[in-house]
Amino acid sequence: MTALGQALPHDSVLHRRNPTVKLAVFFVVSVVVLVPVDPWTPLALLVVAAPAVVHAGRIPWPTLGRAALLFGPFAFSLLAVNAVTRDGPVVAEVLGLEVTRTGLTVGVALALRTVLVGTLAVAFTLTTDGARLMTSLHQHARLGARPTFAVLAGYRVLEDLPGRWTTIRQAQSVRDPRHRRGTLPRDPGSLSRAAFALLVVALRQGERMAIAMETRGLGSGPRTVHRPVALDRRDAVFAALVLGVCLLVVLVTWRAGLLRTWSTV
Amino acid sequence: MIEVRGLGVTFPGTPAPVLRSVDLDVRPGEQVLVLAGSGAGKSTLLRVLAGIVPQVVDAEVTGVARVAGLDATTTPTADLAAHVGTLTQDPTDQLCLPTVLDEVAFALENRGVDPGLIGPAVHRTLASVGAAHLAGRRTAELSGGEGQRVALAAALVADPQVLLLDEPTALLDPAAARGVARAVRGAVGDGRATVMVEHRLDELGHLPARVLVLGPDGRVRADGPTERVLHDDARSLAGMGTWLPLSAELTAAGVGSLERLTVDPVPTSVPGVRVLSARGLSVRRGQRTVLDGVDLDVHAGRVTAVVGLNGSGKSSLLLALAGLLPAGGTVTGGSVGLVFQHPEHQFLARSVHDELAWGPHRARLPDVDERVSAGLDDYRLRGLEDRDPFRLSGGQQRRLSLGAMAVCGHDVLLADEPTFGQDRRTSAACADALRRLADEGRGVVLVTHDLRLVGEVADDVLLLRAGHPLALGPVDDVLADDALLSRAGLPLPAVLAASRTTGHPVRAVLRALRTATLPAPVRA
Amino acid sequence: MNRRRISLSELVLLAVLAVVSGFVYWALVQAWIALQIAMGPFGDLAQHVLIGGWMVAAPLALYIVRRPGVGIVVELAAALVEVVFLASPVGPMLLVVGLVQGAGAEAAFALTRYRRYDWGVFVLSGALAGLASTVLGMVRFGWLTQDWFAWRLGLQVASGILLCGIAAKVIGDALARTGVLDNTPLGRARRETTSPDTEPVPVA
Ligand SMILES: Nc1ncnc2c1ncn2[C@@H]1O[C@H](COP(=O)(O)OP(=O)(O)OP(=O)(O)O)[C@@H](O)[C@H]1O
Ligand SMILES: Nc1ncnc2c1ncn2[C@@H]1O[C@H](COP(=O)(O)OP(=O)(O)OP(=O)(O)O)[C@@H](O)[C@H]1O
Ligand SMILES: [Mg+2]
Ligand SMILES: [Mg+2]
Repeated sequence: MTALGQALPHDSVLHRRNPTVKLAVFFVVSVVVLVPVDPWTPLALLVVAAPAVVHAGRIPWPTLGRAALLFGPFAFSLLAVNAVTRDGPVVAEVLGLEVTRTGLTVGVALALRTVLVGTLAVAFTLTTDGARLMTSLHQHARLGARPTFAVLAGYRVLEDLPGRWTTIRQAQSVRDPRHRRGTLPRDPGSLSRAAFALLVVALRQGERMAIAMETRGLGSGPRTVHRPVALDRRDAVFAALVLGVCLLVVLVTWRAGLLRTWSTV
Repeated sequence: MIEVRGLGVTFPGTPAPVLRSVDLDVRPGEQVLVLAGSGAGKSTLLRVLAGIVPQVVDAEVTGVARVAGLDATTTPTADLAAHVGTLTQDPTDQLCLPTVLDEVAFALENRGVDPGLIGPAVHRTLASVGAAHLAGRRTAELSGGEGQRVALAAALVADPQVLLLDEPTALLDPAAARGVARAVRGAVGDGRATVMVEHRLDELGHLPARVLVLGPDGRVRADGPTERVLHDDARSLAGMGTWLPLSAELTAAGVGSLERLTVDPVPTSVPGVRVLSARGLSVRRGQRTVLDGVDLDVHAGRVTAVVGLNGSGKSSLLLALAGLLPAGGTVTGGSVGLVFQHPEHQFLARSVHDELAWGPHRARLPDVDERVSAGLDDYRLRGLEDRDPFRLSGGQQRRLSLGAMAVCGHDVLLADEPTFGQDRRTSAACADALRRLADEGRGVVLVTHDLRLVGEVADDVLLLRAGHPLALGPVDDVLADDALLSRAGLPLPAVLAASRTTGHPVRAVLRALRTATLPAPVRA
Repeated sequence: MNRRRISLSELVLLAVLAVVSGFVYWALVQAWIALQIAMGPFGDLAQHVLIGGWMVAAPLALYIVRRPGVGIVVELAAALVEVVFLASPVGPMLLVVGLVQGAGAEAAFALTRYRRYDWGVFVLSGALAGLASTVLGMVRFGWLTQDWFAWRLGLQVASGILLCGIAAKVIGDALARTGVLDNTPLGRARRETTSPDTEPVPVA
């Protein structure tokens, strides 16, 4: 994975798309896939989407695969819980729980939906620079200057957090005379004390950053952007293409009689 | 350009004002250095001029503060910024954007400057502070010194009429501090009024022509040409605990040169038993080896100083000695306590008392109450028992973190930059605390950028360069070896250079200078 | 309620709250995954036990900044950060999740017209946040048509009360004690009631 909020360091068709457009398209697709609860529609979309993002974003398969592993447990637990908690014809019994056909179908559907949205999420973050997205939201989505830069300041805090988290846990662990070499305590008490210190330090950093931005004139009037984010015809083509394909797939599964929604399971 | 009349500032919940009837006029083209002890209100004065106090930070402000013709106490901070460039005290926290280019361009964008003109201005300003090579970098990956230069460029880029600088070199090694000082000097241009707070006067090389001195009561103690103020008031300035350039310090001591000083011999500390021993220590962080092949023995009763440039691996060494980083090689010996650079990272309890009691409790020591009580006295924390540790001043936080570690009775105490940002008096007090711990029979390892502090407390010095040990030896030998120091990239402070000519051990000379200038010996 | 324009430091404070709560959650996600696996087929219920922790930023933000909308804004910002910078597998739906949960938590404060900040309001806020999040789950995952719906609802509300509502007040009070909130409406309100711990602070 790349560092937090940074795109893979190469160029690609997906890299070049306007981030606001990308986010909007991504959002619409994730709302559309809320509708079907049969396994076929998300599967078909996944079969189209995975090679598409790998190709258009020049994302190496192993990178995508590794990222997908992160949401594996989430998808699996959705499958498991749905399989045993829905009414319908019983197909098996596991640990005294009845696995139903309906449960299995819905479970697989929700799991595939998670993998699909997860894949798109990974493709989005691997091809989008977080800071450019904020600039673009400011330019193209009329997000105000102060909220934009507040989020960017939040992002700076975020970049520093992993390092600070480790430092704080180290610093606090040596306060315990019984602390053992080479280990950091993992009990809930130690973790929450570290989290509290992290919060205090981050809030103080936030206050200083707000002051630093204000003393450089943020919010004093109309501002310019020295490296604007491009928005052109190709972005419209991109949006039309992705949404078109998505609707086409749903149309096909519907006509093939495979589509199910909550009202028809 | 700046016109301050009868300025008073009181923070809520505090009985006494921080600043009282301060008057200050600064004309275009003039530079003023503000000197005062810790907590005397230097930053507060700059924050009033920048429109931060009372608009962003609550305070009761009386009197008049006009900057570039605007009332600084009511003009919105962002509007005032059209005329004022500000560098605040902690450099790492003023980089707010992900890349260096965005960071430096920010002030111009906010003024609505034509985008076509911004790029060239950004590069020009970066070059003027010696940071042209950083243009392509991300801010999160900058070292302390690099970050400080970028922050300076970001304050200068809009060519402000008024420039306010609060300790622009605090976190830097001596070489980088000189670089930034040069950049500041270069940036002080035509017609611009500059007000600067700085502790490291000898590193500055060339002092601004005018000095404003604030007393501990928040009143102006002196205001005038640098030479005259520093030499006429040298004694009282030294007494207030401010740092002084060497020549003024000598005046305060009442001598023309260090050789005239009566130097009493100080007892050399005899090494006790070996309490910690590292062999072939190496550390990897990220993809790089940041420490390689370090051998170090720590003896009871002795203070070992570790010095080197920013990023040479000093903090990594301490972490490895404390067993907090996976390291190659071996570390054997007794129990180890480590005082981190930022006290805030180390606090665990919600009151000073509980903070001191924490370690002894954990260790199930029998005499927790006595230890806490002794800690309160030794580190001058009486009266603050119930205060939240985060609510202490910087100097008090430092003392608490040192005290909380010391009461645990570790065999070895490691301290990372214990004096940064402190005035002369608190820094001396900290040096005494470390010396006392060693004299009680602990082994002490000290990381610092302040070679003068090294001369004052250390018995041995380990010199690091880019993760490699350059030398390890008695302090007088290491500090006398010019070739060695220049290979480490460390310029010698003026006072140490001068002390060589006296023929006495460096610690004895520094002690004598201190006795002659700081009034009463202060306990930590 | 106050009508003054929200200040930059308040906006940044909200962003920092969003980021830190997102990050701390992310750091504890190991615990969640472990719990999920340990609970076997009931793993899906693990999220209900922890759900309150996800939403704590909203009542905390309201407690500190005390103006309409900040509960929703902070949850939205947290979602934005998770989607944009942390590649959350939930995707942009998280923005909707943030909106709904934030609105749930905020409803309790809106009922008091942003005037009361006592334990009762926080408990109600947590309960409503848990409720809102359950309603959303009904839409997203069809919980209503599953067994265990009562369990889900009960766990979500309980977790909301404890880990969201009550936790927010506890954390807010502890933070106020440290002095980092002195220049916020919470800090000012505490000063007015002259609590003993408003003593000098180290300089920001
Ligand atoms: N926001 C605040 N609320 C309450 N007290 C404050 C606040 N800011 C500063 N103070 C107090 O005001 C005094 C002066 O602080 P200031 O930062 O101006 O000192 P300084 O001279 O810059 O010190 P240093 O050398 O440590 O930077 C200190 O005692 C400090 O604790
Ligand atoms: N968490 C980390 N991950 C990767 N590299 C790191 C990390 N922390 C430090 N480094 C790098 O290791 C090197 C040594 O860092 P270290 O903090 O030990 O230096 P230092 O001598 O203490 O510097 P300073 O004087 O600035 O405190 C530096 O180049 C630094 O960039
Ligand atoms: Mg200061
Ligand atoms: Mg260091």
